[in-house]
Amino acid sequence: MIEEALIQEVTADLYSAALRRVPDDTKAALAAARDRETSENARATLDLMLRSTVLAEKKDTFVCSDNGFPIYFVEIGGRAHWQGDLKGAITRGFNELVDTISPPLLKHVANPLTNERGGPGKDMPAINVDLIGDADYIDITCIPKALGSGRFASIKTFISPSLADIEAYVMECIIDAGSQHCPPVIVGVGIGGNFDMTAKLASRATYREIGSINPEPVLAAMEERLTEAANATGFGPMGTGGETTALAVHIDYAFGHGYTPVAVCFNCWINRRAKARIYNDGRVERIF
Amino acid sequence: MATHSLTLPPTRESVADIRVGDIVYLTGDIVVTGGLPAHKRIVEYLDAGKELPVEMGGVFIHLPHMVEENPDGGWTIHYVNPTTSTRFNNFLPRFVRDLDLHILGGKGGVNEETAQAMEQQGCIYVSLLGGGSPIMSEGIKEVRQVEWREFPAHFRLSRLRVENFGPLTVGVDAHGGSIYETLSEQARGRLPEILAQLDKRRAEAAGA
Repeated sequence: MIEEALIQEVTADLYSAALRRVPDDTKAALAAARDRETSENARATLDLMLRSTVLAEKKDTFVCSDNGFPIYFVEIGGRAHWQGDLKGAITRGFNELVDTISPPLLKHVANPLTNERGGPGKDMPAINVDLIGDADYIDITCIPKALGSGRFASIKTFISPSLADIEAYVMECIIDAGSQHCPPVIVGVGIGGNFDMTAKLASRATYREIGSINPEPVLAAMEERLTEAANATGFGPMGTGGETTALAVHIDYAFGHGYTPVAVCFNCWINRRAKARIYNDGRVERIF
Repeated sequence: MATHSLTLPPTRESVADIRVGDIVYLTGDIVVTGGLPAHKRIVEYLDAGKELPVEMGGVFIHLPHMVEENPDGGWTIHYVNPTTSTRFNNFLPRFVRDLDLHILGGKGGVNEETAQAMEQQGCIYVSLLGGGSPIMSEGIKEVRQVEWREFPAHFRLSRLRVENFGPLTVGVDAHGGSIYETLSEQARGRLPEILAQLDKRRAEAAGA
């Protein structure tokens, strides 16, 4: 049985970890990009990024001052057994951490109706739930989404678009964001479903491990060519020029109707996300 | 690409030789904020002809900063990191002129109108590493002044003493050069070719 107290503890740990530690797949992708880059400035910026990840871990501090919009993505296995108030446990875990974490957090969470800063607040943290087959565990992923990357998410509804239409739209979004969202980014693309599903597909696509192969061959090929296309724009690391604007483009899709929403969103280069798997017997496994 | 160590306050002359793509380190006092409310309040002060509570010293950086007041009255700075300057574009041409800025900073760049004001004023834009908080924070040596304390920490207007603060990449120089405009135009110029390449690769994938 998964106890409420354990969920609360894991929730707090994940947010704290996500703020301090750039995931291994991202560090590896940055290092690989550094070796590929031919521009001296871009290489120096990528070196600086890698140094920042090392220093944050060494000093046990935050990689970025923007602790982001806190999102918890909860995937519940069909055979997971839990007890108590899942939402309450996540909210308490988050709120308690916000009050006690060191160093202290800046107040980024805001009431959009008044622009007043600070929490706790309505639907805060954001909890996004999915069901996953017959697994005997609950997966929780924490994604603190900063302003720089969150701001450039976009969605457009097409009528029966071709792949060329979709790819042209993705490129338009990449060029609109340009230098501003702390590149090199991870681009998430959602295709199909309905309005809210598409956004979720895109957002979830950014969490996928960099270097993992899309199980859908059409999308695997699209990801490869769009990554090349994004990097051909030349915005480069921190948008000051270079051949690395995207570390990856990740795409997901769902069956839909003739109207096809396409969503595009970004994770900045630190690609903050921390994931834990909680088994029925109370074991907790950190996935990343 | 040249590297410059600048002692603050800067002047039109001290930034004149710096070019887009150069690297800069700053030593001296910088004025920082991360927030829209501070920008709005600066406008109120400018409109009313009132003197700002901090001496600008020619440097203004979009730098959210976590500072806490000590019981003995001093300040502890926990960390800093830049925010995106483009969201303040509407304020910046006036700030450059009326606050007599010679160094503007943050991340993500500024728009064309701001770059034009900077050319007239003799001002450069420096890009800080986003997600570089552990590095950027090392350069902060002292919190000199914190004003507008009713705002959340990162929205306040503060003066910080920095030493070898950097490396900062010059994104806009005082001669009309802007890496942001160049890259944006370049990307849009390349787009037809990029889309043609995508078409080609898609056709190959379909045929495979």
